[in-house]
Amino acid sequence: MATVDPVAEYLSHLQRELIGVDAAIAHDALVDAEAHLRAAIAAGKSPAAAIEEFGPAAGFARAYAGAPVPEPHAATDGAGSTRPAPSAADGAGESWGTLVALARIPLVGVWFRGRAWSSLLYFLAPCFAIALGTFIWVVCVGSLALGTLPILMGLPLAVFLLGSVRAIALAEGKVVEFFLGVRMPHRVQPVQVLTPIGGVAEVGFWRRIGCWLTDVRSWLSLAWALGNFFVATFLFTVFVTLVATAFALLAVPVGHELGLPVVQMQSEDTEVQFLWQRIEPDANGVVHLSTSIRLLSGVLGFALATATLWLARGAGWVYGQVVKAIQVARPQAVARRFTVLS
Amino acid sequence: MASPLEDRILKDLSNGTAWLVVLAIVAGNDEAIHGYEIGRRLADEAPEGLSFKQGTLYPMLRTMEAEGLVRSTLVPSSEGPARKCFTITAEGRRVLATWVEAWKRTGRWMNRVIGGIDGNR
Repeated sequence: MATVDPVAEYLSHLQRELIGVDAAIAHDALVDAEAHLRAAIAAGKSPAAAIEEFGPAAGFARAYAGAPVPEPHAATDGAGSTRPAPSAADGAGESWGTLVALARIPLVGVWFRGRAWSSLLYFLAPCFAIALGTFIWVVCVGSLALGTLPILMGLPLAVFLLGSVRAIALAEGKVVEFFLGVRMPHRVQPVQVLTPIGGVAEVGFWRRIGCWLTDVRSWLSLAWALGNFFVATFLFTVFVTLVATAFALLAVPVGHELGLPVVQMQSEDTEVQFLWQRIEPDANGVVHLSTSIRLLSGVLGFALATATLWLARGAGWVYGQVVKAIQVARPQAVARRFTVLS
Repeated sequence: MASPLEDRILKDLSNGTAWLVVLAIVAGNDEAIHGYEIGRRLADEAPEGLSFKQGTLYPMLRTMEAEGLVRSTLVPSSEGPARKCFTITAEGRRVLATWVEAWKRTGRWMNRVIGGIDGNR
C-alpha cells in the first residue's frame, strides 16, 4: 500500500501555495522547509509535531515571497529595482534619484540602466567564454567516455561528466544572476532517500550516482552545455557586430570634431560611399564629411547603440530564464518523488 | 484560554521581538548555526505564552541576509538537504548593539509604567 510521507504532503501543499511566486524563490522556500522538517524529525520529533511547530504552509509561503532576497548583482536596474533609494539628504541619494529618473525616460532611459550594460557585458565576454569552455569539456570527456565504453572505463567517465556538468550549471547560474539579474536558486537540491516515517536515510555513493542519473537536471545541464555553445556564439557575434557598428558611427562626428582623420583614402581610383553619399578626398587623401553626414552618423550610431542595449536587456532576460528553468526543474516533481512505500 | 484579542497581543509581541532574539542567538554562537537549531532555541527559551512558528524564521533570516546582518554558508547534511548555516556580520553586530541598547531603554520605561499598574514599584 502506498502512503504519502507527511513532510512530502506538506511540501506539496507549500508548492501549491507558492504558485505565482518567482520559481527560484519557490525553490529556496521548498528546500528551506524540507531541510528544517527533516532536521526536526532526525532530532526525534514526529512528522506531525515538526509540521505543527513549523507553521502553516500558506503563512510560510506568504512570508517567504515577501522577504527581500540577498542580491549579489553586478548592477541594479534603476527603473525596475526594489532597492530602497538612499536618503535624499546625502549626495549619493540625489545621484541615485537622478539615475532612477533618467532610467525612466522612454527608449533612451536604457542608457542609464545598469542591468542593460551588465547584460551587454555578459554577452560580450563571460557568456561566450563559459559556453566555449563547457563545450570543449563536454566534447573531450564525452568522446573519451564513449571511446572507452567497450573496456568499461567509459562508464565512470560518463558519470564524472554528468556530475561535472551539474556543477558547471550551478556555477553558471551564479554568474548569470550576477550579470543578468535573473534570480537563481540559492539552495542546492537534495539528493536523498526517504524512509517510511518521513525521515531520511544515509545516502551512499552509488545511490547518489543513481540520483544524478534519474535527475532531469543532469540531462538538461548536459544538453544545455552542448547547445549553449551555439547560442552563445550567435549572441557573441550579433553583439560584437552591433557594438562595433554603433561605436564606429558614433566615432565619426566625435573624431571629426577632435580633428582626427576619420577617413583617409590611399587610392584616388577607389570610389567610397558613406551613408549614401560619395566621399571626396582632398589633395592629402583626407575626407571632410559634411555637417549633415556627421550628424546623421551620430544619430544612427546613438539609435543603434540604444537598440543594442534594449536587445541585450531582452536577450539577457530570456537567457536567464532558460538557465533558471534548468535549475528549478525539481519543484514540479516534489509530490511524485516523495511518495514512499509503507 | 486566551481571548482572540489576547492572542493577537501575544502574537504582536512575539513578532516584534523575534528579530532581536534571532539576531542575538546567531551572534551568541561562535560557529555557524543552522535554521533548525535557531528555531529550537527560540522554542526552548521563549517565555510561557509566547510562541514562534519556526517557519517564520527563514523569511526573517533571508531578509537579514539581504540587509547584510548575517552571512550564510551551506553545510552538507546526511539528514536531508544541505543545511544553511548563519553567522553574524560586523554590520549585524553593530545593529544588534544599537538594538540591545534601545531594548534596555524600552525595558526600563516599560518596567516603570507596568510597575505602577501592578503595584510593584
